[in-house]
Amino acid sequence: MPEITVEAIGKSFGAEAALSDVSFTVRDGELLTLLGPSGCGKTTTLMSVAGFQQPDTGRITCGGRPFFDRAARLHLPAEARNIGMVFQSYAVWPHMTVAQNVAFPLKVRKVPRAETAERVRQTLELVEMSAYAARYPHELSGGQQQRVALARALVYSPAVLLLDEPFSNLDAKLRERARVWLKGLQAELALTTVFVTHDQEEALSMSDRIVVLDRGRIQQEGTPEEVYRRPASRFVAEFLGQCNVLSARAAESPENGTTRLVAGAAAVPLTVPRAVPAGEAVEVAVRPEAIELSESAPDGGNASAARVRSVAFLGDQYRYELDAGDLPLVVTSPRRFTGLQLWVRIPPGAGWILDGDAPANSRAAADVTS
Amino acid sequence: MISLTRLPARRAALARRPGLRENPVQALVWLLVLACVLAPVLPLLYASVQSKPIYDTGRTFTLSAYSQLFSDPAFWAAARNTAEFAGLTTACSVALGSVFAVLCARSDVLGRRIWGPLMAVPVLLPPLGVILGWNALYGPGGYAHSFITATLHIPFNLTSVPGMAVLGTATAVPVVFLVCRAALASMDTSLENAGRSVGAGPLRVLSRVTLPMLRPALINSGLLVFTLSIESLGIPLVLGSPQGHDFLASYLYGAWSNAVTPDPPSVSAGATVMLAVACALLWLRSRLIGDEARFVSVGGRSGPADGTVRLGRWARVLLGALMGLYLAATTVAPLLALAVESVVSQLTPLIAPWHLLTSANWAAIAHGEYIQSIRNSALIALAGGAVTTVLVALATTVAHRSRFALRRSLPFLLLFPRAIPGLIVGIGFFWSFLLVNPPGHALLNSVWGLTLALSVRSMTLAYFVLSAALTAVSTSLDDAGRSAGASWWTTITRITLPILRPAVFVAFILMFVSILNDYDPALFLATPNTTVMGVAMLDAEAQGVNGPVAAMAMVQVAITLIAIAVGGRLFTARLRRASA
Repeated sequence: MPEITVEAIGKSFGAEAALSDVSFTVRDGELLTLLGPSGCGKTTTLMSVAGFQQPDTGRITCGGRPFFDRAARLHLPAEARNIGMVFQSYAVWPHMTVAQNVAFPLKVRKVPRAETAERVRQTLELVEMSAYAARYPHELSGGQQQRVALARALVYSPAVLLLDEPFSNLDAKLRERARVWLKGLQAELALTTVFVTHDQEEALSMSDRIVVLDRGRIQQEGTPEEVYRRPASRFVAEFLGQCNVLSARAAESPENGTTRLVAGAAAVPLTVPRAVPAGEAVEVAVRPEAIELSESAPDGGNASAARVRSVAFLGDQYRYELDAGDLPLVVTSPRRFTGLQLWVRIPPGAGWILDGDAPANSRAAADVTS
Repeated sequence: MISLTRLPARRAALARRPGLRENPVQALVWLLVLACVLAPVLPLLYASVQSKPIYDTGRTFTLSAYSQLFSDPAFWAAARNTAEFAGLTTACSVALGSVFAVLCARSDVLGRRIWGPLMAVPVLLPPLGVILGWNALYGPGGYAHSFITATLHIPFNLTSVPGMAVLGTATAVPVVFLVCRAALASMDTSLENAGRSVGAGPLRVLSRVTLPMLRPALINSGLLVFTLSIESLGIPLVLGSPQGHDFLASYLYGAWSNAVTPDPPSVSAGATVMLAVACALLWLRSRLIGDEARFVSVGGRSGPADGTVRLGRWARVLLGALMGLYLAATTVAPLLALAVESVVSQLTPLIAPWHLLTSANWAAIAHGEYIQSIRNSALIALAGGAVTTVLVALATTVAHRSRFALRRSLPFLLLFPRAIPGLIVGIGFFWSFLLVNPPGHALLNSVWGLTLALSVRSMTLAYFVLSAALTAVSTSLDDAGRSAGASWWTTITRITLPILRPAVFVAFILMFVSILNDYDPALFLATPNTTVMGVAMLDAEAQGVNGPVAAMAMVQVAITLIAIAVGGRLFTARLRRASA
């Protein structure tokens, strides 16, 4: 299966830029997720790959075959792209049975009747829907319709598979099962897949790589671990799970590749594994589960006393909102602490300096400390 | 366990063969629609600035037709009558129709589940039949006329302009009722429930929330009724003209058929003036509706409405009785009078009808021109309805489900034939048949010319039905077809239109009924050999032949009711199967 290359596509609706300079490559056999909030351009990107939308600039190729090239004025229509697509609404045709739905792409390709029947049978077996071949879509549940949509997208062995928020119409329990099942199928068949979602949990659990989009621009591209642990920007840090973003300032010159930072009025000292010039304002991202809580002062530095503002029980863990000096922090822990005065410790590896200019207010906050 | 052996993933994708190129098909559909819409309009404009009819030689460009028209006092009298009629009809029908809709949808008025569906029925009844029924009942010498004037002491004269406006109101109320009821049904009931929750009583909610929310529907239906009233031809032809009360349409028809030199350019000039007025109203409607977008309620529907206004025992019964009486007087009684008139030698309050029973009227329409016109009408309605439904179905998908460059012009083009008066379609096609020959002359002398004109006139109705149904079909169903490799044509014919099948069928029934009962354009195109029911009826009516005309009207009513019943039954059966 070929790889998909998207090069510098851009699209505007009126004065508003829906996409600008979006480039990425989906490698052969991998599942790449386009992740972002609604309106970030992920669906526009997917529809551009599918051929339902035409970007204003850029190039899209699939396995060396150009799909779209603005410079060459080339736009391959959707039906000529040999793409398998599962729509958000599944779009299972209501006037055809399950078998007729799945057979349609083969009919369009004028596949002989015997081969059509065989392929439909195989594909329905693959998605575990053989028993429902003669049913009409309205007799199926949401999860079953989704499998039919997938079978219809796979039946002609398309070059790539595009998934547009395929789980958003399923209930929470079913969604988790469908996720595991679909990821398994994708990996077994080694399908080159582009997956669009706004659900970070879905993205983290299914993807080989994630492209995070916001306001039509790529914010970060990387494996789920990279994107989660080493977010490139405040947006990525906050969009993927919960995150404390601290405004801080380098207290002294870096030593051995680490820098001591101060954050907040209480001057929480923080050592981060990165060289930052003295006096520079930075933003530091710390995941709530990476912060250690204890009842007595811990060893190893990077610790501060904190007052508990509120506690919430989330089932598998507790969520604490604390003030370390004037620095608000969110911390999750499986332990229940009853006292209101606790200690927080941010391990040196837990803080991650975000790129980009620190906002102006962080300077003011840092000024207090100096 | 998923095994690779079941579906060899790495086998090459099945190649897709290129399908039919989509653009030529879409362009052809667009051109056909454009031709249908422009065919009556352009020749009309041309004919209005010529010194002589188009078929004469020695024509010159001149505006004399317009100056001749504007210097005719009869034209201005007709214009005044038309304005008075349209204004009265609009005001009364909007008031009555909206009150009926609100009562049926939002109150516990007695019998609302019966009055609701019945209120809408007259929209589909043959308009000419309704006019003739009113004339037989309330017209001068009508069955109930002396009861109303002498016993009830109501000085009612159906042939005066206000009298005709009463009939106009009765025919327009269902239009307003339907528009308002649709608006009420789509209104988010939580808006009204919110009013109740903050302590407003039902009547207050009705006046402060419901009615203001209805404003776009009232404006829309008011303008629609006004447009329809301006082009009325049947009402003045049957009632007003014999008494000297002409409307614009009947004035032009009279000038057309009674002129010393046939087909005078001044008639084309008058039709052009009416066209301009209709276009201005159409523009106004689209502007106003656009501005009223803020009244569109956002958000889903939340639960059932408990906005029902409790009217109180007496008001409930009284208003219910009034609505029943209204329906009886405006719809049931005229049709009954028509039915009786068709089986008696003379309908008169002086002699009991059972003394005058006769089958002569029905025997008369089984012969000659009458039966010929019934045959023609049925043929025209069947053929025209079928062909036009196919064309409009394709045009609707080009307009809303294609990337064709000019697709956005199609909704307007399809709206146009109904927005302009029917007589313009008649006169316009007459000129275009003369100008474009062949095939013009052959069309003019056969039923196919009439079929074309009547079909074009009814295209809009099919478009309304199909476009409304299409918006309920998710575009991702088409997109799924395209991504599965199907061309536009395959997607439309195998997916979109099959899903729309019930709506296509409804559109056909509506086209059939509408073409069958239409007569405005036919008045200008029909020849003795190609006459249709409406024209034959108006001709006979003008000669004072009442019985056979009533029988013909009953035939129209019967065919219409059968078509609606069959269509409604098949439609609901399909719906039931689809939602089973």
